[in-house]
Amino acid sequence: MAAVEKYLKPEVIRQISRLDLRAQFIVKGFMQGLHASPFHGFSVEFSEHRKYSHGDNPQDIDWLVYAKTDKYYVKKFEAETNITGYLAMDLSGSMAYRYQNELSKFEYSTCLAAALCYLMVHQQDPVGLVTFGEKIIDVLPPKSKRQQIGNVLSHLARLKPRAKTDIATSLIQLAAMLRHSSLVMIFSDLLVDPEPVLAAMRRLKHGGHEVIVFHVLDQAEVDFPFDGLVELRDPETQERIEVDADGFRKDYLKAIGEFRETYKRECAKSRIDYLPLHTGMPFDKALMEYLLSRRNMG
Amino acid sequence: MGFLTPLLLGGIALIAIPVVLHLVMRQQPRELTFPALRFVKQRRDSNRRKMKLRHWLLLALRCLLIAGLAIALARPTFKGTGLHGKDGAPLAVNLVIDNSLRMEYVQANESRLEKAKKTALELVEKLPEDATVAVCDLGRAAHGYAPDLSAATSRLQNLRPTAEARPLVDGVLESIKLAAEQEDRRQEVFVFTDLSQGAWNDEGLKEINNALSAAPDVRIYIVDVGVADPKNSSLGELQVRRSVLRPGEPLHLEAEIRSNLQSESPLVELSLRNEEGKLQKRSEAIAAFDPQGQGRVVFEIPNLPLGTHQGSVNLAATDPLIVDNTRYFTVEVRPPAKVLLLATQPADALFVEKALGASLGDASRFDVTVKTFADLEKAKLEEFSAVALLDPGPLPAEAWNSLWDFAAGGGGVGIFLGHHAAGELESFNSEPAQRLLPGKLKRVSRAETYLRPRRLDHPALAGLRNYAEELPWQICRVFQYWTFDKSNDSDTYVIAGYANDKPAFIERPAGKGRVLVSTTPFSDPLEPEGREPWNTLPAQPWPFVALVDQLIGYLAQDGDERLDYLAGEVARVQLSPQQQVASYVLHLPDGQAGSRVATSGDDELAVSITDELGNYRLTAGGQSQRLDRGFSVNASGTISDLTRFDPEKLTGALPKDRVRLAENLEAVEQYVDVGRSGRELFPWMIGLVAVIWGAEHLLANRFYREEKGKD
Repeated sequence: MAAVEKYLKPEVIRQISRLDLRAQFIVKGFMQGLHASPFHGFSVEFSEHRKYSHGDNPQDIDWLVYAKTDKYYVKKFEAETNITGYLAMDLSGSMAYRYQNELSKFEYSTCLAAALCYLMVHQQDPVGLVTFGEKIIDVLPPKSKRQQIGNVLSHLARLKPRAKTDIATSLIQLAAMLRHSSLVMIFSDLLVDPEPVLAAMRRLKHGGHEVIVFHVLDQAEVDFPFDGLVELRDPETQERIEVDADGFRKDYLKAIGEFRETYKRECAKSRIDYLPLHTGMPFDKALMEYLLSRRNMG
Repeated sequence: MGFLTPLLLGGIALIAIPVVLHLVMRQQPRELTFPALRFVKQRRDSNRRKMKLRHWLLLALRCLLIAGLAIALARPTFKGTGLHGKDGAPLAVNLVIDNSLRMEYVQANESRLEKAKKTALELVEKLPEDATVAVCDLGRAAHGYAPDLSAATSRLQNLRPTAEARPLVDGVLESIKLAAEQEDRRQEVFVFTDLSQGAWNDEGLKEINNALSAAPDVRIYIVDVGVADPKNSSLGELQVRRSVLRPGEPLHLEAEIRSNLQSESPLVELSLRNEEGKLQKRSEAIAAFDPQGQGRVVFEIPNLPLGTHQGSVNLAATDPLIVDNTRYFTVEVRPPAKVLLLATQPADALFVEKALGASLGDASRFDVTVKTFADLEKAKLEEFSAVALLDPGPLPAEAWNSLWDFAAGGGGVGIFLGHHAAGELESFNSEPAQRLLPGKLKRVSRAETYLRPRRLDHPALAGLRNYAEELPWQICRVFQYWTFDKSNDSDTYVIAGYANDKPAFIERPAGKGRVLVSTTPFSDPLEPEGREPWNTLPAQPWPFVALVDQLIGYLAQDGDERLDYLAGEVARVQLSPQQQVASYVLHLPDGQAGSRVATSGDDELAVSITDELGNYRLTAGGQSQRLDRGFSVNASGTISDLTRFDPEKLTGALPKDRVRLAENLEAVEQYVDVGRSGRELFPWMIGLVAVIWGAEHLLANRFYREEKGKD
């Protein structure tokens, strides 16, 4: 287990440059770790019978059908329902921030998105990609074919964070765009006013969509590891503030704690899955959250 | 508040440096990109205030550090409650050290004097070089300022207890006077005392008070080196009944003992010096104390041979003050005085002879010879100490002359006039007789009266003083007595008179000797034939025997002699009139001896070196100069008075702002430092600077830690 779990850590994933391999790495490590878990086989269901052919798993032979017909049939499984997933990537400049960790918030989000894409396509779920800054920038329509993995991953690999963001507007735009109920997975640091964003999320939810918010922050943003006199600069607004880090840490931690708590509380009210993450955390937590959410939708 | 080096206060100006640095070289913050700035913004204002506060705090600390350092180096002093005198002036320090024997009281293996010396030495060590010091002890020598501190130190070290100590107050007064002469200096007097009642009294305090008001700049520090609850056993002054004894007369000696030790009754020993000069125990007694801790011992040593006897009485107790446990005495056993009684017929001398012989039973003071006036010419008067003429008749001029010569050579002549003189005035009023008599005989008075001496202070009657109340003078009736014309000679003296104030006994000096005339006879029978009796004196044995004993003893110069002196007194050893001493050897108590020359013509030897307690002996050899006398020197009774004088009374009696009472050197130093140059605040100041420096360092470290890490 320990050997497997170590592959889920961002610093290990960072060593792999290709995104598809990263995604595989994450998902396989996660699935292996999952074998002993009670979640085994919960997401797929019997679909039809077909004739047993050489190479099929004998465990899958349906012995009741054999008793009636004297012929070997195997059960064919498929997903109970097809959920269309949208990976909504925030391209704000702040997402490119990295202090001491191996991955920036954006890279972390990309890896996570790739892994989820991989996972979903493997379960026959169609996956699409939406990128947004101040508004929706690009949309890759959802498909469940295996090529979709390649499309999504290559698209993700090409993405780069831009300057400013307006998450609320983008999400409202997305809500208007989606026709069927879908699973919207938002990857963002949410470093804007929470109220409009929460309102936009609720709107998505009311539109019949399932929403998972992957709130990705840098570890430095969570822990505030600075000391001494520092001048802090916002990468989006270029605003500067001079503070004494030692004296300020307590205040900051309180503020960021309140911020995350607000999201957690409000999301829980609206039955939105909110997942506070930072770039120092392993990926399995995020994936598990997705799977739990997937089952709830079932 | 003052500063010893105020120039260094200029260093405070260096505060400008951190101020300038603070303004010019503000610290550059580290620039960091941080997307979550919105959370920082929320709390920025309070943080900025904190930052500013910390900046100013750091600046203030640095300024304080520099100012504190400058102030500390300027050596601030605090002048609080000390005794103020002339600020900044050099010191004139007078150390009065009680070195009386009382200060030999030992506690904690240290006598009070040693403690006083130690404290004084420590004090002198701490004095600045420019201070002048006078060490004043209670000896008789004059005192002055020592040339330098080391001389004062050696004076202190050489201080020894002295038996002939002056009162402490005298020493204090002398020091106040000495200090007051140093007008341009701070005048300080330190008195090291055991604070006992032997040293302090109300009168002395009054005198000090007066002296202080005459010397307004003098400050007194009284350093108490005494003990709170002194324990002591002491032997009081010895009471020797008679210091001159006759053969067979026992030595009778009493001593009072006091003790607050509450231990067993101690043994008291009497020792006498034997012929080899060594002390030999002759008697001992157990002292019993009454509830007040007082006791009395009595010694009686019989059969002392002729000569001078010296010894000591020793209280065999171990107490902190040993010096008052021993007292010394000297007695002399002399041969009986030879007295010649002259009468018309031997039977007339019977009353006086019996009176002299019976005065002390077997041990008579007198060796009496009775002769008639007819034998006067043949008699060798120089063999006798005194000659008594009992009711003399007319005598030839040669007889008067030989009597005069005898008197002038040191003898005593007693003339007891009676009825034989009646009608023979020519002989008595002749020139040779008048050299002895106090004046011309006038007549016999027949006014009845009785003998009534008004005062008994004359040596001739001093022996009766103790019995003054018991003497029944009224029964000493006198019916007739001689009266004299008023004499021009002023050297006559009436020793005693009658109840009607007429003279009874008249003395007149004659050369080295003395003449005593009684105006009524001592030998007249009570019922004479054919005439009226003169008096009833011999019929009353009690006053008569005592009177005869005293008067004849006085004539024979056989009185008690003082052989006991206090330390410091001049001892006078009486020589007999015939004795000629040119030089003698004085043996001191410590065994040392030295030859001394006597002043020729004096009838006494004066010894002024009596500062040592013990027995002194004077000896001389040769036939005519043969001398073996002695005397004893004891300490005064006040050395045993260790009772504490109330300190509050002491401080209350003296001006508060000028006199301080201290119990130890620290207290002295405290007063002195504070009063003299103030208490130095340097250690406190430098401690404060260290604290400021630490705080500055801590704060600065928080500011600059990261920058250093970067480098």
